[in-house]
Amino acid sequence: MERLQPVMVGRAAEALGLTACVEANLDGEIAGAQVSDLLSYVMAEGRRGQVWITIQTHPNIVAVAGLAGMHAIVIAGGFEAEAETIARAEEEEMGLFTSPENAFTLAGKLYELGVR
Amino acid sequence: MDTRRLAHHEFPILGRAYFLGGRASTSIKQVLREAGVDDAAIRRVAVACYEAEMNVVLHARSGYMALDIYSDRIVVSVLDKGPGIENVDLAMTPGWSSATDEARALGFGAGMGLPNIRDQADQMEIQTAKGEGVRLYLTFKREVNGDGAPATGDGGTSG
Repeated sequence: MERLQPVMVGRAAEALGLTACVEANLDGEIAGAQVSDLLSYVMAEGRRGQVWITIQTHPNIVAVAGLAGMHAIVIAGGFEAEAETIARAEEEEMGLFTSPENAFTLAGKLYELGVR
Repeated sequence: MDTRRLAHHEFPILGRAYFLGGRASTSIKQVLREAGVDDAAIRRVAVACYEAEMNVVLHARSGYMALDIYSDRIVVSVLDKGPGIENVDLAMTPGWSSATDEARALGFGAGMGLPNIRDQADQMEIQTAKGEGVRLYLTFKREVNGDGAPATGDGGTSG
């Protein structure tokens, strides 16, 4: 079986057509993803280097992603990040992106790119 | 048991300030990294601290977290001024929550807080009574080398 190439945050953002709110960890290799809107779930299951796809937009998502050691958050479904969320992501150097597409579609595209 | 205490820190927590939630835990994670605590222990402490911090934010008026780093373990104490927990066994049940609808809409109140904390900590003690706040004491063992010195982290730079 062909070995999957590493997928970096920057490349994934470009391939998925994400809008960047905070460009951080662009060179970070994506080590899987979480799709959830429950913060405790992501806190328990999130792992270092992952990307988190959610429709939550408030600043607490940055705390969760940061504590879990994730590389980036993608806010799906056309929702916009709150100003405080962007400020906190900048402060914690957390990648923060938005997309008009829903979480299912974004997750599928990440998978197609080779993220596991 | 080696009981040398190497550091003590305290971090305030403001009740109802949903969006500030996680700041104390983020600070604790930073302190542990700077202290050279192993990554596995940091992760367990970070997850438990976040849940404990959000419990204070969601349910209490105010509180604080104290972090004590020992050569062989980490102790986190979370004390709040709030309504207390009437039935601890019920609160420990995964999925049970007394969070408001507002909090749930924001992705809090999944009823995973105390179960997550229990899963991460090596020891967990809750002292509470209705109307008397909550005192939560958590102990996490550290990975130590044969000579008793704390193991260094794996040098990871992210997270």
